[in-house]
Amino acid sequence: MAQIKNNIKVLRAEKGMTQEELADKVNVTRQTIIAIEKNKYIPSLELAYKISLFFNKKIEEIFEYF
Amino acid sequence: MSYKKFKFVRFLIVFFLAMTISIAVSMENVLLAVSAIGIGMISMFLVKKNVKAVLVDEMVKNIAGKSALIAYSITVPVLAVLSLVFMFSDLSHQGSYLYGLGVIFSYIALFNMAIYSIAYYYYRKKYGSDKE
Repeated sequence: MAQIKNNIKVLRAEKGMTQEELADKVNVTRQTIIAIEKNKYIPSLELAYKISLFFNKKIEEIFEYF
Repeated sequence: MSYKKFKFVRFLIVFFLAMTISIAVSMENVLLAVSAIGIGMISMFLVKKNVKAVLVDEMVKNIAGKSALIAYSITVPVLAVLSLVFMFSDLSHQGSYLYGLGVIFSYIALFNMAIYSIAYYYYRKKYGSDKE
């Protein structure tokens, strides 16, 4: 089965942010950030764009499809 | 209002509702129960309006959609089967309420199916249409 992995946890740690702070920035709940970081939930394209814009990176630099 | 404060206020509203409705039931006072529900709904609406934190996001909606589909796929067949069983077990209508209950169940099942079909048709048209 195809999966999508991400390195949000690493990027967030680099910025010294909490999950709650990131959730506030991209307008979702902390539970959603937890689920995305654990690769349990694949975000919508809109949310993926919001996250990539927030970290100032391209989507493919954050999310990896394999 | 923060999410923590919202959770506390929500608990208070639910507690108030539970207490008032249990008192209303014990007193057999329908008006008290209905007004308690009304006050509860209004205060919950006002509290939700003042919460700054995000309460519903795409994952919550996703989970709600999946749960609704499961609830629908279980409820409708169960109601349909029950309604048939009740109606056929009481075809002669001899002094029992089973036939009426069966008819009510079948109407509820049909109502559910109608709402699902309308919503499905609406969203298929909304997202599947080639109009820009």
